[in-house]
Amino acid sequence: MSVSAGEVYERVAANVQRVLRGKPQVVRLAVAALLGEGHLLIEDVPGLGKTTLARCLARSVGGSWNRIQFTPDLLPGDITGVQVYHQNDEKFAFHPGGVFANIVLADEINRGTPKTQSALLEVMAERRVTVDSVRHEVPRPFLVIATQNPIEMAGTYRLPEAQLDRFLMRLQIGYPDLASEVMVILSDCAGVDPDELPAVVDIPTLQAAVAEVRAARVHTAVVEYAATIAAATRQHGDLRYGASPRGSIALVRAAQALAATYGRGYVTVDDIKEVAHPVLEHRLILTPDAELRQRRAEDIVRELLNEIPVPVNTGA
Amino acid sequence: MRIRALWVLLASAIPGLLFAPVFGLRPLLLPIAVVLVACYAAVELCIRVKVLQAWRPLITAVLGLVALTFVLFGAPSVSGVVAGLTESWQLTLQSTWPVRPDAELMVFVPILVLLAAVLGLELLRWPALALLPSIAVLVLSQTFVALSGTTAVLAALGFAVVAAGLYMPVRPGLILVPTVVLGLVGAAVAALIDTGEPYSLRQSDSALVPLPRTISPLSEVGARLAKPETPVFSYTSSGPVDRWRLVVLTEFNGVTWEPANEYRRFGSQLDSPVSAPATRYSAKIQAPDGQWLPSQAMPASVTGTAPLVDPSTGALLLPERRGAVSYELNWWEPQAGDNLQDAALTSTGQPGGLGVIPPGIAELATRATAGMRPSFRTALVLEQYLRQNYNTATGGDLPTGSGWPQLRRFLLETKRGTSEQFAASYVALARIVGIPARLAVGYRAPRTPVGADTVVHNRDVYVWPEVSVAGVGWVPLDPMGGASGAGPAPSRLAQVTAKARAELPPTNQLPDPPLPASETDDDNGGGPAVWQVALLVVLGLVALLVLAVLAVPLVKVFRTLRRKRQTGTQGVVAAWLEAKDLMRAYGTRVTPGMTARDLARATSDRSIVDSLTGLAGQLDVALWSGAGATDGAVAEAWTSVRRIRRTLAGRSWGARLRAVFVIR
Repeated sequence: MSVSAGEVYERVAANVQRVLRGKPQVVRLAVAALLGEGHLLIEDVPGLGKTTLARCLARSVGGSWNRIQFTPDLLPGDITGVQVYHQNDEKFAFHPGGVFANIVLADEINRGTPKTQSALLEVMAERRVTVDSVRHEVPRPFLVIATQNPIEMAGTYRLPEAQLDRFLMRLQIGYPDLASEVMVILSDCAGVDPDELPAVVDIPTLQAAVAEVRAARVHTAVVEYAATIAAATRQHGDLRYGASPRGSIALVRAAQALAATYGRGYVTVDDIKEVAHPVLEHRLILTPDAELRQRRAEDIVRELLNEIPVPVNTGA
Repeated sequence: MRIRALWVLLASAIPGLLFAPVFGLRPLLLPIAVVLVACYAAVELCIRVKVLQAWRPLITAVLGLVALTFVLFGAPSVSGVVAGLTESWQLTLQSTWPVRPDAELMVFVPILVLLAAVLGLELLRWPALALLPSIAVLVLSQTFVALSGTTAVLAALGFAVVAAGLYMPVRPGLILVPTVVLGLVGAAVAALIDTGEPYSLRQSDSALVPLPRTISPLSEVGARLAKPETPVFSYTSSGPVDRWRLVVLTEFNGVTWEPANEYRRFGSQLDSPVSAPATRYSAKIQAPDGQWLPSQAMPASVTGTAPLVDPSTGALLLPERRGAVSYELNWWEPQAGDNLQDAALTSTGQPGGLGVIPPGIAELATRATAGMRPSFRTALVLEQYLRQNYNTATGGDLPTGSGWPQLRRFLLETKRGTSEQFAASYVALARIVGIPARLAVGYRAPRTPVGADTVVHNRDVYVWPEVSVAGVGWVPLDPMGGASGAGPAPSRLAQVTAKARAELPPTNQLPDPPLPASETDDDNGGGPAVWQVALLVVLGLVALLVLAVLAVPLVKVFRTLRRKRQTGTQGVVAAWLEAKDLMRAYGTRVTPGMTARDLARATSDRSIVDSLTGLAGQLDVALWSGAGATDGAVAEAWTSVRRIRRTLAGRSWGARLRAVFVIR
C-alpha cells in the first residue's frame, strides 16, 4: 500500500517532534526540504537544537546516513573519498567518503576550510562525486543537512555564495517560548534521545513521496508570481545580488513540498509566500550601504512580499 | 494609471470646453472628444506594449493630431496643424462671436487640449503638476472670454473634482472634505467679488482686421446720380425693406467722411444689439460688383460669402472680392415702441468728429434746434428744419462733395443739394448740438411687393443720417424727404419715426423734452443680483456635496451587486475582493501582496479569522487546484463574506459610519 507524501510528512514530523518540541513550523519546513529532495542549512546560535533536528531527520528515514563533523583539519578526501593503492591486488580501489549516504549531516559546516567546503559543491548539485576523473554516484535520495553557527567568527570560514545557493532552504530555529522550553527540559530528563528514534519511512517510500511532490500541480500564475519575486530581488536597490534562476526553481520546488505537507496536490500563493523567507534570504547579498544601514535580507523579502500583488484573476 | 490618465484627460477637456462662448458648444465637442479618445488610445497602447512606454508623448501627440485633422479637415493635414499653431487663434479674435465653426478657425482649441493632455500625462507622477498644463490652457481661454458668476464657479469646481480624483490614490480619505470646503470658500469668494469688466484679447489691436483700401460709396453718389438707369444689384426679400446700406461713415475731419476701423470677420451669427424686441428677416441678394455689400443696420448672419462686418453699423465689406457675388442676408428689425418721440438719445460718447467748424454754422445749428437740449425730438426738429428750409437739387448740375466748404455753401448760401449734402449737413449740425449722429450711404428700396425680385438702380442711391436712440439703436432720418415711400412698406422704425414726426408740434410750441432715464436704473434692471448668484452657487455646492456624500456608498452597493453576479472561480475571487474591501474600509491595512490568510493574520477577531481562513481555502481550490469553483463554493465564499460583514457591523458607530463613506 502506497504512502502519500502528506502521510510521510505526518510520520516524520511526529517522530522528530518527539525530541524537538515547540517548533512545528521549523519541522514542517525541514521535512518539506526532505520531500523536495533539497539540501537544508540550519543556522542559529548554539544550543537551539540545530544538530538535534538534523539527527532526528536523519534517524527518521530508514536509509543510510553519515555524520561529518567539520573541523579545520578535515580534508576534501574525507568527504568525497579517495583512491587507495592495494598492493595485494596491484590496483587502485575507491574508498568512499562521508557523502556516500542518503542523508549526510554536515555539522558545523563553517568550521571546515573553504577547500573542504568546496568538496561538497559537485555532490550537492549533481549528486555524484568525481575522484581521479572517475564518477561515483551517491545513493538516492540524497540530502545534505548542514548546521552552522552564525555568530562565531574565530576559526570559521564563511560559506561561499555558490555553496549557499545549493541549499534549498536555510532554517533558523529560534528560541522556544516558555511552555516549549519547559517541555524541552522535561524531555531532556526523561525524554527520547535522537539516536533512539526509530526510522519511520523507508527509502522507497521517501522516493515515492519525492516523486509525488515533483508532480504537484503549479498554476502558471503561481510560477509567474514566484518568478516575479525572484526578479524583484534582482532589481532591489539594497541588494548587490538577488536570487538566481536556481532560486526561482527552488522557490517553486519548496512550495510544492510544503503543499504536500499540508496534504495538497497543488501549490498556492500562500505556499510560495511561506517558503520565500527560508528559500530566498540566504541567496541575497546586500549592498555595503544597506549593510551599514543594518538592513537585513529578511526585511527585504518581507517588503517584496507585501508589495508584489498576489495573482487572483487567473481567468481560469 | 488608467484612471489617473482619464482624470488628466478630463482636466484638459474642461478648458477646451470653456471656449464654448467663442465657437458654440456643439462644434467643439467632436474635435475635443476625438483628441481625448486618441490620447487614451495612446495611453492604453503604451500600457499594453511596454516597449512603447518611452515614446508615449510622441505617440500621443501624433495620434491626437492625425485623428484631429482627420475629423476637422477630412484627411491628416500638416498645413491644418500649422494654421492651428500660427493664425487660427488670431482669425478667431478677428471674428464676431460665435465664430463660424470652420476648421481653420477652431483647430487651435483641440490642439491646446492635446498639448495639455500630452504634458499632463507625462507629469502624472506629480498630481499637482499634471494639472498645470490644463490650468495654463484655462488661463488662455480666459484671455479669450472670461467666465464669471456661476459658470466660473462650476468650472473651478470641475477642476477641484479632477484634482481630488488625481490625489485620491495618493492621499485617500483626506481629499473629499478639503475639496468640498475649499470649493465652498472659493465659490463664496468668487460670487461676492465684483471683478468688473474682464480683460479679453479681443480688445487688443490684433483682434481687428486692418481696413483695406476702399473707395467710399459717398464719393460715388454724384457719379451714380449722373447715370440713374444703371442697375446696381438685385434682391428678393422676405420682409419690407425701405433702404439698403453700403457703408456708415462716422469719422469726419472737415474734409472727408471715413468709416470707423472696427471691422471683424462675420461669425456664425450676431444677436440683436438692442434691448427692444426684434423680428428677423432675410433676403437673397445678387451684387455684381464692388467691395461694399448691401446690408441692413443689424445683420444677423450671412451665408454664401464670408464678408467683414462692422457690428455697430451693419456694413459688410468683401475686400478680396472678384466679380459677382450672391448671398443670403438675415437681419434684425427692431420693433420699437410707439412713443419714440419722447425717447432719449444714447448718452455714450459722441462718434466721429467735426473738424474745424466754419463760422456761422454753430449758430445755425442752435437756431435749427430751437436751443433745445439733445433728444430724439430735437433730432426731429433739426430734420424738419432742413426739410422746410432747404431744397433738393435736381437736373444735370448736381452739387457734389460733403466737406465743410461744400456744406457751408449748402447751409448758408445755395440751400440746394442732394441727399449727400442734406445728410452730411444734418450729421454735422446734430453733432454740434450734442446729438449722436452718423452718416449712412446706400440705396432706397424700389417700391416692389415683398418677395418680388427687385433691381436697384443708380437713381436709388441715397445718403441719410442716423441718430442713436436709447433702447432702440440707430434710427435713420430723412432730412431731404427723398426716402419717404421707398420700398413696399415702411419698416417699423420708419413707421414710428413718421408717427413721431407727424406729432411734432410747431417750433414755437415745443415743450422741453423729458429728461433721459437715469442710467443707474438701467443698470439695476440688468443681470441677477449678487445674492442670487451666491444663492445659486451655494445651492449648486450643496447639491454637489450631497452627490459626493451619497456617491461613495452608492458606488459600493453597485460594486457589491456586480461582484455577486460573478460565477465560478471569478465568483469566489469576487467574494475575496469584497472581503478585502470590507476589511480595508474598517481600517485594516491591506497591501497588494496580501492573501486571505495574511489578512486573517492581520486581524484578531476570531470570527473574522475563521471566515477569512475558510475563504482562503475556497480561493485556493478555485484558483490553483484546477478544479474551479462550483455554485456551492461561490455561495459558501459569500457566506464567509456575510459573516465578516456581520462581525464588522458589531463595531462602534463611528467605525461603521466611516466604513460606509470612506472611499475604499
